[in-house]
Amino acid sequence: MSVQADKAPRRSLGSFIASQIELVGGWSAALGALLIIVICLAALLAPWVAPFDPVATDFRARLKPPSWAHWMGTDQAGRDIMSRLIWGARASLKVSFGAAVIGTLLGVSLGLAAARFRGGIVDNLIMRTVDAIASIPLLIWAIAVIGTIGPVPIVLGPITLQNEDKLLMLIGVLYLPMMTRVTYTVASAEKMADYVKARVLQGVSQGRIMLGDVLPNCLSPIIVQVTFLIAVGLIVEAAVSFIGLGVQPPRPSWGTMLADARPYILGPEWWLSFFPGLVISLTVIGFNLLGDGLREAADPRRMAHGA
Amino acid sequence: MLRMILSRALFSVATVVGVGLVLFLLTRSMGDSPASIVLGADATLEEIAAFEVRHGLDRPILVQYGDWLARLVLNTDLGTSFVTGRQAGDEVSRGLLVTMELVVLAFVFALAVAIPFGVLAALHRGRWIDQISRIIAVMGLSIPGFWLGLLLIRFMSLELGWLPPGGFVALSESITGNLRTMILPAFALGVYQIAVISRMMRSSMLDVLSADHVRTARAMGLPGYKVLLYALRNALGPVVSVAALSFGYTFGWALIIEQIFSIPGLSRSLLTAISQRDFVLVQAVVFVFTLTFILCNLAADLLNVALNPRLRGASA
Repeated sequence: MSVQADKAPRRSLGSFIASQIELVGGWSAALGALLIIVICLAALLAPWVAPFDPVATDFRARLKPPSWAHWMGTDQAGRDIMSRLIWGARASLKVSFGAAVIGTLLGVSLGLAAARFRGGIVDNLIMRTVDAIASIPLLIWAIAVIGTIGPVPIVLGPITLQNEDKLLMLIGVLYLPMMTRVTYTVASAEKMADYVKARVLQGVSQGRIMLGDVLPNCLSPIIVQVTFLIAVGLIVEAAVSFIGLGVQPPRPSWGTMLADARPYILGPEWWLSFFPGLVISLTVIGFNLLGDGLREAADPRRMAHGA
Repeated sequence: MLRMILSRALFSVATVVGVGLVLFLLTRSMGDSPASIVLGADATLEEIAAFEVRHGLDRPILVQYGDWLARLVLNTDLGTSFVTGRQAGDEVSRGLLVTMELVVLAFVFALAVAIPFGVLAALHRGRWIDQISRIIAVMGLSIPGFWLGLLLIRFMSLELGWLPPGGFVALSESITGNLRTMILPAFALGVYQIAVISRMMRSSMLDVLSADHVRTARAMGLPGYKVLLYALRNALGPVVSVAALSFGYTFGWALIIEQIFSIPGLSRSLLTAISQRDFVLVQAVVFVFTLTFILCNLAADLLNVALNPRLRGASA
């Protein structure tokens, strides 16, 4: 193949990029990635790109419709909606990324451990515990647990746990079953592969094989799963904050902004609820498109179907 | 087969008991103590101690949980609220009926849209209808139902005036009135399921259509619609279990949708209970939700086995 490629006529940069995009999941995945990059950049660069202070109230500018000064209008306290959306991205992305990281670290370790001791008591213990955790409905428990502990920050020595930190840890633990099962399924199949047998014959320890050889080969379904979990986390954070049990005011998050807009839903102030919902939807669409594309790209059946 | 059903069911029972214990510990140990709620902040230590003895709160928490569980199984008693003095079970069953109606309506609506859409998308793979169904699926997965609900209220109720923006009319009062208040919430709730089920229907149908037995049937000259019916029956298997799973998830999201449309279902009980720090009721509502969710998971599991003969012989 490589010899052939040398002889092939030089392609333009554009067609090279197009072929690479096709390889990692197609144009819709690229669109998804673009949406995610734009929103992450906005969140990271919030102090520089946000036109106004997100918590500064201005009662002369209450409930103003979108204009050149305030592109997305102002809310009931005269705060600039666009600036609040940009700053709010930090809280929303923090919860969804944080939960996915916790769920992945725990889930992948447990999945690998269960696959390593497949068929034994450790395997059974891990997978049955995971099954039990999987029977916990995420949203209701998030609401009930945060509601019971209360949304006040918890101080643990030098660290202060904000309410959204509690939320992200809780969601992360409830993500554990999905990540464990994905890792377990793929790692168990990989363990049967010839290269693993070869490594065993070389005298490499089981633990090193799992981490050094099996894990890298499990990464693509894990990454796909993470993308979807981030999408779910965004919606859960928005829902819990909408109920008033997520990010606490006056700090902005997308869910709390929708909650603030709720009393105005029958009034003429459409921009209050429209823009926060639009931004949530676009971000979630971004992660779903990316995940879909990555999954298609990693799916061996794609070759068989010739799609 | 029977052994498998039994072992799955047994595991579900064990899960209910275990998860119920976690819930009990969370609500009883992290919430305010019932004594301080009922007696107020300036109760003396003796009064608190007497109160705890009277209500059995001085016993070890495991014993209290065992007691709670025994009453639940024997008398379907979910406990009595320390705040209102009412039976938590009454409150829960009233809300559950309303929530159940919403969830079932959303589910039926989703099935009615998703299955034809999924089949059509599979039959016309890569053509415009497939593209449209893909776009709808991505939107359905991504647009939060509660925002969709807010948009629907604005356009369907406020601008067009077709349907009420919220509220609830009991089914016993007026059937049409009840349905009119339920259409928008059921739509907002069902869109996510349309996405999940139609995608599953499509991929399952594609798998079946490319299978050898379908090719054989075609080659033998069976009419197209008959082949299609055979394929559909085979393709429904995985869809049924995904649908059962998504039924369980919908219960959770119904909570938020009820809030948007001011429907007096379980969400109202839960949020009122949280704001009144009524942990007996919080625990009761969450327990009922979890139980429903576990039952849906079990149903999905069993349907999967029943519809897929290859799984029947597999290990329990």
